[in-house]
Amino acid sequence: MTSWLDRLRDPSEKTLGVILLAPAFALLALIVVYPIGKLFYNSFFDMRLSGGQGSKWVGWQNYADMIKDGAFWEATWNTVLITVVTVPGALLVGLGLALLANLPFKRQWPVRLALLLPWALPLAFAGLIWAWFFHTEYGFINDVWMRFGGEPQMWLLSPVSAFTAICIAIIWKSSSFMALILLAGLQMIPKSLYEAAEVDGASRWQQFWQITIPMLMPSIVVALIFRTITALQTFDIPYTMTKGGPGNATETLAMYIHKTTIDYLDVGFGSTLAVGMFVLSLVLTAVYLRHISRQESA
Amino acid sequence: MTMKRLWKAGMIAGFALGLVAAGAASAQTMRVFSGGANQRPDLMRKLFDNYEKQNPGVKIEIETGGATSELQRQYLSTVLNAKDAAIDIYMIDIINPMQYARAGWLEPLNGYLGNEANTIMNTYLPAYGAANVVDGKIVALPAFADAQFLYYRKDLFDKYGVKAPGTWDELAAGLKKILDGEKNGAMNGVATTGAAIEGAVCTFLKPYWSQGKEFNDAAGRMTLDKAAAQKGLEMWLSLVDRGVMQKNIGEVKPADMINAFKAGNLVAMVNWGFAWDQLQSQADSTVKGKVGVLPLPAMAGGKSATCIGGWQWAVSAFSKNKAASAKLVRYMSSPESAKFLAIEGSLLPVFAQTYTDADVLKKLPHYRDSLPVVQAAKGRPMSDRYGEVSDAVRTSTNAVLARTVKPADAVNDIEGKLRRVMR
Amino acid sequence: MGDRRGLFSAGGLRFAAAAIVVINGFFPAIWILFTSLKSETELFRKPITYFPHEPTLKNYIAAAVDQPLFQVFMKNSIIVALLATVVSLVVAAFAAYAIARLNLKRRQLILTAIIASSMFPLITLLVPIFETMRALGWLNSYLALVFPYVVLNLPVCTLVLVSFFQSIPRDLENAAMIDGCTRFGTLWRVVLPLSAPGVFTAGILAFVNAWDEFLLALSLNSTAAMRTLPVGITLYQGEFTFPWPIISAALIVAIVPVAIVIAIFQERVVGGLTAGGLKG
Repeated sequence: MTSWLDRLRDPSEKTLGVILLAPAFALLALIVVYPIGKLFYNSFFDMRLSGGQGSKWVGWQNYADMIKDGAFWEATWNTVLITVVTVPGALLVGLGLALLANLPFKRQWPVRLALLLPWALPLAFAGLIWAWFFHTEYGFINDVWMRFGGEPQMWLLSPVSAFTAICIAIIWKSSSFMALILLAGLQMIPKSLYEAAEVDGASRWQQFWQITIPMLMPSIVVALIFRTITALQTFDIPYTMTKGGPGNATETLAMYIHKTTIDYLDVGFGSTLAVGMFVLSLVLTAVYLRHISRQESA
Repeated sequence: MTMKRLWKAGMIAGFALGLVAAGAASAQTMRVFSGGANQRPDLMRKLFDNYEKQNPGVKIEIETGGATSELQRQYLSTVLNAKDAAIDIYMIDIINPMQYARAGWLEPLNGYLGNEANTIMNTYLPAYGAANVVDGKIVALPAFADAQFLYYRKDLFDKYGVKAPGTWDELAAGLKKILDGEKNGAMNGVATTGAAIEGAVCTFLKPYWSQGKEFNDAAGRMTLDKAAAQKGLEMWLSLVDRGVMQKNIGEVKPADMINAFKAGNLVAMVNWGFAWDQLQSQADSTVKGKVGVLPLPAMAGGKSATCIGGWQWAVSAFSKNKAASAKLVRYMSSPESAKFLAIEGSLLPVFAQTYTDADVLKKLPHYRDSLPVVQAAKGRPMSDRYGEVSDAVRTSTNAVLARTVKPADAVNDIEGKLRRVMR
Repeated sequence: MGDRRGLFSAGGLRFAAAAIVVINGFFPAIWILFTSLKSETELFRKPITYFPHEPTLKNYIAAAVDQPLFQVFMKNSIIVALLATVVSLVVAAFAAYAIARLNLKRRQLILTAIIASSMFPLITLLVPIFETMRALGWLNSYLALVFPYVVLNLPVCTLVLVSFFQSIPRDLENAAMIDGCTRFGTLWRVVLPLSAPGVFTAGILAFVNAWDEFLLALSLNSTAAMRTLPVGITLYQGEFTFPWPIISAALIVAIVPVAIVIAIFQERVVGGLTAGGLKG
C-alpha cells in the first residue's frame, strides 16, 4: 500500500498532470475566468452606461447588430489586412535577422542586443517615434526622400501610405519577437546534421531548405501563433500613429472595441465585438494549434 | 521579561496604537484625481494646502494619472465603472458631465450647496451653467475655463500693416502678404487642429456656428444645416489652396502648433487659452512679447464663434466623504481660487468679474479682450452619447482635411451616423 | 568558398550582416538618444538635424526634476518584471512539461484553453480584473500586477517551452528514470538544462512583456508610489504638450535595465548546449 506521500514523490501520470497544471489553471481561474465569463454574459445585454437605463436583456440582438455594422466590417477588414501583411512580413524579417545573428561573430552581444532592442521599446512610444519618422515636416523619412530628389509626401494622410507606414512600424517592432523565438530554435539544431550534409556535398542553399527549415518548424509555428493573435489585436501603433485616420481608414477592430467601450461607454456591444475578435482569433490559429498537438516527441 | 511585564507592555502598546488610530480617524483624508500636467496639479496643490490650513484636520492627497484626456478617460472609465470608492473628487473634461452623470457616477451637489444651489450656476460664465447641470441637478462645478482664440505674431502683422482680421478672407489676405514678404520656406500661415482628436470637433463647429447655425436644439435633437456645414469645411480647404495653411493640416495637433509657433514657423494659430502661458513663459520660446490674441475670424457675413473648453470638479458617487468633498469642490470653484489660478498659471477664470480684476489685468492685460470671447463661447453638443457624436464629427473633419473625402460627402456621413444617435 | 579578402569574402559578408542587424535594431534608439540631447527648438527646426548641433544635458535634469519619483517608478518596474518572470517561468515550465510529456487525454484542449486566454482584448477584461484585485485588497501593490502578468505571459512561455521540451528525445529521460530519478527530477536535471535556450527565451519574453505593459499598470497601480515606468513616462506629456526631448531622456534611462537583462540573457539563449546532449 503506497501512502499518499509516496504517491506524491513518484506520482502516476494523471496525478502528476494535475499537480503540474494546477498553478497555471489556478491563476487563469483567478485572473481571467471571471472577466471572460462576464464578457460573454454582457454581450447578451444592451448595456449603455450613460443611457441611465441599466442593462436590458437582448439575447442575440447585439450579435445581429454587429453583423449589420459597416464600421465593424471595415475595422475587421483593416485588421485582417494588417495580419496578412505583418505576419509573413515579420516572419521573413525575423528569420533573416535570426539567421544573421546566428553567424559566428567575434563579439556577439551588439548583434544580439540590436536584435531585441526594438522589442524592448514600449509599444506606445514605438508608435509615436515611427509617427515622428513619417511626419511630413519633421520626419527623417521625408528628409531622406527629399535628398534623393523627391517631393515631401504626407505619408500618414493618405490611406494606402498610412497603412504601409503602420505595417512597417509593426513589422519592425515584432520581427525581434519572431527573431528571438527563431534564434532559440536555431540553437536546438544539432551541428552534426550540417556536418553530415557537407560531407554529402549539399550546398548551403540545400542545407537551408532541408535541414534548417524543417528543424525550425516547431519554433516557426509558435512564433506564427502569437504574431497572429497579437496582429488581430493591433491597437497601439495605429492609435498613436494616425488615431485611425485619415477618417477611419486605418481603424482596427481593437480600436473600434476600445472606442465602443471607453468613449461610448457601450459595454454590451463592446463585449459582443470582443467575442467576435475571439472567434476570429480562434479560427485563424486553429490550423497552427492542431499542428502543435499532433507533434510527437522524437 | 516576565509574562506579567510582557502583558503590560502589550496593553500599553495596544492603547497607544488605539490612540493613534483614533487620531488618524478624526483627520479626514480626501483623494483628488487632478488630471495631468496641463491641468496644473502643482497649482491645485497650492490651493489644497491653503484649504488644509483653513480647515485643520483635513488632508488632501492628489492623484495624477493619464497625462492626456484620452488616458484620463480610459482610467476614469475603468475606475468609475468598477464603482471604486478610493477617489473622492475627479477633475473631468467639459464634455463628460452629461455622460458620467447619466451613468450614475457623479454625486449631485444640490443637497450640499444649501441655499446657494439655486443661484450658484448664474455666477459662472453662461456656458458652464449649461454643461454642468444635467436633468436639473448640478453635477460638477467649473475649475477653470478655456476657449479657442486666434494667436498671431503681432510683430509681423505690424511690419506688413495687416489689421485685425474680421473674417477668414481678411486673415488669408493678410497672411499671404506676410508670407510673400518673409520668403521663409519653413513658415506657414495659420493652423488649426486637423488630427482626428477631440479638437477636430471644434474645427468643424467654429465656421458652422459662425454662420449662425446650431448643431442641436434644446432637447438634444440634431439640427444640422448641411449646406452651412459644407461651407465651413470648404473654408478650411480654401485656406490650404490659397497657400496660407499647411497641406498636412490633417496631422496637426495643438502641441504641434505651439511648437511651430514658438520656433517662429507659424504666423497664426487657432488654439486654446493655455497656449498663452506656453508662448510667453517657456524658456525656449523665440516669440516672447511678440504674441497677440484675438477673437476668431468669422465667416463672411457671420459672427465670430468659438468653442468653450475647461475642466470641472465633480464628486464621485461612490465617495465615502461626500459632504467634505462637496465643500472642497465649492472652495476650488470660488472666485478666490479662480483669481489665484489666473495670476499663477494664466488659466482662464470661470467668473466674469475676475477678468476685470485689477491684479489680474496687471499680469494679463489681454484678459479684458478675452472676456467677451469666453462669454460668447459655445459648448459642444450635449448628449449622453457624446462619444459617438464626437467620433462622427472628428473623423469626418479629419478625412476632409486629409482630402480623402469631399466636404459634401463628409457632411452626409455625419448626418447619417448621428441621425439615430441624436434623436 | 575560399578565404578571399574583399567585400564578398565570408568576413565581409559577415560584417555586412552584422551591420544590417545592428542598424535595424539601434537606429530608433540612436534617434532617441540624439533627441534627448537636443533642445525643443532644435527639434522643430527645418530642415531637420540629426546629430544635435547644440547638445545639452538639461533634458535629463528636467526629466528628473519633473518627475522626482522616476527612480521609484524604475524600482517598481524592475521588481514587478523580475517577480513576474520568475513566477511565469515556474508555472509555465510545469504546465509545459505536463503537456509535452504526459499522456493526458485532453492535451489539445488544455493547450488551446491556455492560448485562448490571450485572444481577448485586455481593455474589455479590465473592469472585472480591477474588481477582483480590489476584492483581494491587492490594488496598488506588486501582487496586482505580477499575477496578471504571469497570466498574460502564460500562453507564450508555455508554448515556447512545449516546443522545446518536445524536441528533446525521450530516451534521455527514460535513461535517467531507470537510474532512479523521479519525474520531477528529470524535469529539473535533464529537460530544463537541455532546453536552456527555450527557458531563457521564455524568460526574456516574460520580462519584456511585464516591463512594457501599460494598461493594467495604469489602472491597477495608480498611486504615485506604486506606479511603473511606462505609465510614469507618459506623465511628461500634457493634454497639449509633448516634450519629445525630455521624454527621450526618460526613455533612454528606462531602456538601460532592459538592455542589461537582455544582454545577460541572450548569452544563455545562444549559449550552446550541454555537451553530449544532442549528438545525432
